[in-house]
Amino acid sequence: MSHAAADTAADAALGSSGKLRTAPKSSTPVNRWRNSSKERAYRRRLVEVLCSAAANSRSSGPCSIKEAADSALATTAHGRSRWSRAILFARRCRGSGSSRKLLAKAGGTRCRLTSAPPPPTKKGNKLGHRLRALGRLVPGCRKLPALTLLEEAADYLAALEMQAKALRDLTDVLSAAESGGVPPEN
Amino acid sequence: MLRGQLQCLSPRFLLFCSFPSSAASFSILILILLLLRRRRRRRLSELKNIAFSPFACFSRRFFVSGMEKERFFGGGWKSAHAGLLPEVSAFAGDEHLPHSFVGFGWEQPVHGQEAHAQQLESALSSLVSSPSSNAPDGNDSVVIRELIGRLGSICNSGNVSPSSRCHSAHASYYSTPLSSPPKLNLAGADHQRQRMLVNQVAAAPFLADQGFAERAARFSCFGAAEAGQLSRVSSRQSLAKEVAASYAMMAGSSSSPEASSASEKLTAVVAEHNARKRKAAPKGKGKAAAPSSSSAMDPPEEENSDSKRCKAAEAGGADKDAPVKPKTEQNSSDDGNAKPPEPPKDYIHVRARRGQATDSHSLAERVRREKISERMKLLQDLVPGCNKVTGKAVMLDEIINYVQSLQRQVEFLSMKLATLDPQLEFDTETLLSKEMHQVHVPLPQQVLFPLDMATSAFSLAQLPLKLAENPPDSMFSSLQLPPIDHLANLWEDDLRYVVQTGFPQSQEAPFSSGALRAE
Repeated sequence: MSHAAADTAADAALGSSGKLRTAPKSSTPVNRWRNSSKERAYRRRLVEVLCSAAANSRSSGPCSIKEAADSALATTAHGRSRWSRAILFARRCRGSGSSRKLLAKAGGTRCRLTSAPPPPTKKGNKLGHRLRALGRLVPGCRKLPALTLLEEAADYLAALEMQAKALRDLTDVLSAAESGGVPPEN
Repeated sequence: MLRGQLQCLSPRFLLFCSFPSSAASFSILILILLLLRRRRRRRLSELKNIAFSPFACFSRRFFVSGMEKERFFGGGWKSAHAGLLPEVSAFAGDEHLPHSFVGFGWEQPVHGQEAHAQQLESALSSLVSSPSSNAPDGNDSVVIRELIGRLGSICNSGNVSPSSRCHSAHASYYSTPLSSPPKLNLAGADHQRQRMLVNQVAAAPFLADQGFAERAARFSCFGAAEAGQLSRVSSRQSLAKEVAASYAMMAGSSSSPEASSASEKLTAVVAEHNARKRKAAPKGKGKAAAPSSSSAMDPPEEENSDSKRCKAAEAGGADKDAPVKPKTEQNSSDDGNAKPPEPPKDYIHVRARRGQATDSHSLAERVRREKISERMKLLQDLVPGCNKVTGKAVMLDEIINYVQSLQRQVEFLSMKLATLDPQLEFDTETLLSKEMHQVHVPLPQQVLFPLDMATSAFSLAQLPLKLAENPPDSMFSSLQLPPIDHLANLWEDDLRYVVQTGFPQSQEAPFSSGALRAE
């Protein structure tokens, strides 16, 4: 696929050169999140968080790692975007009871993942339903106007892609390390 | 006799008093009364045909009550100049005048305005009375001037908009009557209307009354303001230049400051028309026109660069900004550089495009819609495989599904990470170095892995088994195998969906490779 080729080419370029890709348009989320510096920053943070979480023996469930990953992602975003602030705020106030709403808001996506909210509409106004569904998906963007919602969604999407890629690489590394030199079967 | 009765009594009584003659006339009177009541506006020809000159007095009351002042004046002016002359001479009979008055005002649609009707009535009564007071053989011109004066005074008594409407009615000499001033639409590519404007403005100084010149100037400014508001402008540069030239001439000829300001504004409007046409027409042609009118453009352009917020009251209706215009041209032509011209275009300066509405609401909506479409394009770039999709709804569907799939991926990977190494005791440096190495190396390999439902399912099915079979290690002793089954189903569903939508293979292959490596 063309996208895959472009992606791998970009990543290969990033990896081989190892320097920042000079983006002429600095404000697009794609360029913001595809920098190698951002990737490295995120991976470093992720590893630190995971180590700390593991050391604290707080990781009692699989959710903790996801939370850790999300908080690392949000920190890497430096809290500039709305969803990152929502994640950080929810994580920080996890203990207090009043923040249950926030937690449900921010972490509500977790509960909804199993039940896919399909946006089919019989009547008109399909856009409205879908925009609201998108707002539910992106943390902290429930009642946003369409314009900001789309912007946040773009940023969140780019960040999610980077996060997925980083996690995948991490698991690859770890699994390779664990398997102890078993050659990958092609 | 007629005079007094007109002034104080209702027309019906008037008729009764004046024509008590026959029952036939009375019955005819009643018929016409009913007829008039029902169809005030449409039976003009019938009314004219009916010999109702004695009845015209009362008919006038009904019609006038349903009439707009300007319409009457519009018809009246026409007649005042042309038709009334012969009528006035016959006014001594005081029978034809009402007929003539009634006859004139009927071409236009009528709307009820009682206050105006009363004013009209008083005016008409005075009009009726005054010529009758004069000798019928007397000076026609004097009578006409009196009539003009009175009508003009009534015109003056109204506020600006009726006066402008008065002039729009005046303008309706040459065209079909306009129901409202904003419909004086220069734009529908009507040269006639622009020529009309020119003619009217040119004819304005020729009016006898001084006030008419001022009012015509005001009307021209009003018309120019509306012309400025309307983005649909006749697209002949020559015509616009004609108008500009005529206005310049007018500005030179007439001494009133209003006319000059009107001419300035109209040149500005014309320049804006030129500018707008420049946008529509090829650039070279436009730039040829630009230097010619640039000198005239510059001073009024500064006046016309209003912000989007100010409602159009004066000549600067919609917001125009000449420096932004070439940028917006480039913006429209060049899709890639959407960002640099955006900041000036974003907040304040919006140019109304040709062929689109120009009130501030629709402008704001258009800007908002354009922003939204830009963001959608951005998202389209982010989401893979959305190049063929057109339309916001389907695009949003794709985006939602992609976000869901990414979130599921992240969750699954985090769970896998939890299962793989819960303790993470190694140092971060080696991990990072390995990661960096892993980032580069397996990537070219991943593309080679064919994405296959069978392999992924196989890998997924094998995963829990292989993990269980791993040699006991310190890391794995405390391993808690999470219930991967539901996760596997989830992942399978995700993969299935992704395969169906033509998801790129790079997302799946690394997972399958990772799963295979874990075996």
